[in-house]
Amino acid sequence: MDFFPLWLSVRVALSATALTLLSGVPLAWLLARKRFPGRHALEAVVVLPLVLPPTVLGYYLLVVIGYRGPLGRALAAIGLELAFTPGAAVLAACVGSIALVIKSAQAGFETVDGQLEQAARTLGRSEWSVFWSVTLPLAWRSVLAGTVLAFCRALGEFGITLMVAGNIPGRTQTLPLAIYDRVQANQMGEANALALIAVGIVVVLLFGLSRLARLRY
Amino acid sequence: MSGTVAVAITKRFPGFTLDVRWEAEQSVLGLFGPSGAGKTLTLQCLAGLIRPDTGRIVVGERVFFDAAAGVDLSPQQRRIGYVFQGYALFPHLTVWKNIAFGLQGRPRADRTRRAAEVIERLGLRGLEQRYPRELSGGQRQRVALGRALAIDPALLLLDEPLSALDAPLRRALRDELREILSGWGTAAVVVTHDFTEAYRLADRIVVYEDGRIIQSAPRSELLWQPASEAVARIMGLSNLLHGTVVKAMPDRIQIAWRGHMLEAVNSPTRSYLPPPDSPIAFFIRPEYVRLIRKDRSAPDAHHMNLMRGRIVGEADFGTVWSLRLRLDTPGAPAQGDFDLEVEVPHLVYEILEIERDRQWEFSIHRGSIHVLPT
Repeated sequence: MDFFPLWLSVRVALSATALTLLSGVPLAWLLARKRFPGRHALEAVVVLPLVLPPTVLGYYLLVVIGYRGPLGRALAAIGLELAFTPGAAVLAACVGSIALVIKSAQAGFETVDGQLEQAARTLGRSEWSVFWSVTLPLAWRSVLAGTVLAFCRALGEFGITLMVAGNIPGRTQTLPLAIYDRVQANQMGEANALALIAVGIVVVLLFGLSRLARLRY
Repeated sequence: MSGTVAVAITKRFPGFTLDVRWEAEQSVLGLFGPSGAGKTLTLQCLAGLIRPDTGRIVVGERVFFDAAAGVDLSPQQRRIGYVFQGYALFPHLTVWKNIAFGLQGRPRADRTRRAAEVIERLGLRGLEQRYPRELSGGQRQRVALGRALAIDPALLLLDEPLSALDAPLRRALRDELREILSGWGTAAVVVTHDFTEAYRLADRIVVYEDGRIIQSAPRSELLWQPASEAVARIMGLSNLLHGTVVKAMPDRIQIAWRGHMLEAVNSPTRSYLPPPDSPIAFFIRPEYVRLIRKDRSAPDAHHMNLMRGRIVGEADFGTVWSLRLRLDTPGAPAQGDFDLEVEVPHLVYEILEIERDRQWEFSIHRGSIHVLPT
């Protein structure tokens, strides 16, 4: 049995989760704590990936990163190609899962009593220090929950990935695509094995999350 | 140690404007008034958490805020100890870490020494490794105080420091807090909507109403000479009454009220001379109304402001009884269905057999009728 799709999916999901954390948590903090023009619009845009059909998202993403798209051409100018590479799969997984990190982290930050942050400021702490010593330690459970959900979502990303990364065996064929392929080829035994592996990973992660959530701070 | 605190600021919100000016010496200042009057807002402006529209805030030698000169120090730069309402202790940190929270940036040994000193002085030894949720209300209050005092604040701000506590604890901790404040000698501003608390904690009291200051006085002056009816109302004084001036002299005022002519002492510091027939507000402290014993000789000349009435209501407050008296003179009672609230200690209530006897004659010394300038 070919385990390449499994390893690719895990690598893609890990990279995508790291990227969504890095970009999603600051965005969530911004949405939870700052008032700026366009905040409501941004909040709406953030949820779009959750509600739009994945093929639609994939289509627009392809328009942007394809060899004729603005980003695609810019990358081509420096000798890089994104469309139909594992990198595109990572991007697809990011787009599909970032809303989960943002919404969950935002909700977590919003439940942190603003007075605690004020107290930290009067005690001389910088904004950076307030975030790391007060806001995040009090909201980490929500951030972690969002992260685990995003990882599971990234692991299972299908539609966007198919559109922008294709289904190239041994190169961009992730676990969900491989399962689809095996079913099409009527190789039910392999499809079944891969599906069980996917279920196993997600169940273990979600169980671990529910255990962690019971810890205090 | 700091010198004076001088605040003169305005801050406009839709439907509310804060416009206050006060100064405080090296001592404890009370900001007293109903909720929503702008007291907490003033603290937030002092701490740099909210930026006033105009004005100046100076603490000691340092200008914290000056709208005209474009000065606005950040909360971090101000070094102000803020004890929030409800304390705002960090729930994920131990007592030790809460108290040492503001000491970051100092050398490690220095930090440890200071935190240990604060914990010792506030009687928190043995609780260092507890979390806020494992502490009693009083211990939480001391941790909040310790956290603010640890940074050697130029000024200490306390927002309703006792409101998070149960009633019996409040009384005990009020005295404890007073000790701590005088013991540390830090200039402090205490916000409260409870007059007893303001009186117990502060040396000088500033009375807030609807974003403005309606009186600023040493606490005893405020207690005996509220500057206006509004102040008396906010202080929650009982028997706030309205009469008509008969004759005003520098030392005395005669007031017509409910068919009686009352003799009152004029305010010794602000003698007040309204023309005859003008309306006048005054108050009578319920504990200064004297019920006259029937088993003694008839009332004589030294019983001033003699009146008769009937008890129409009473309430037991544990150590005192509060009685509601309705005068026998015809006309509508001054306060709904009664004219005067009278307070008598339990012992007196029993000796006079007030429970059985409802009809009384009583007198009020003229020094116990306090006139209020309009």
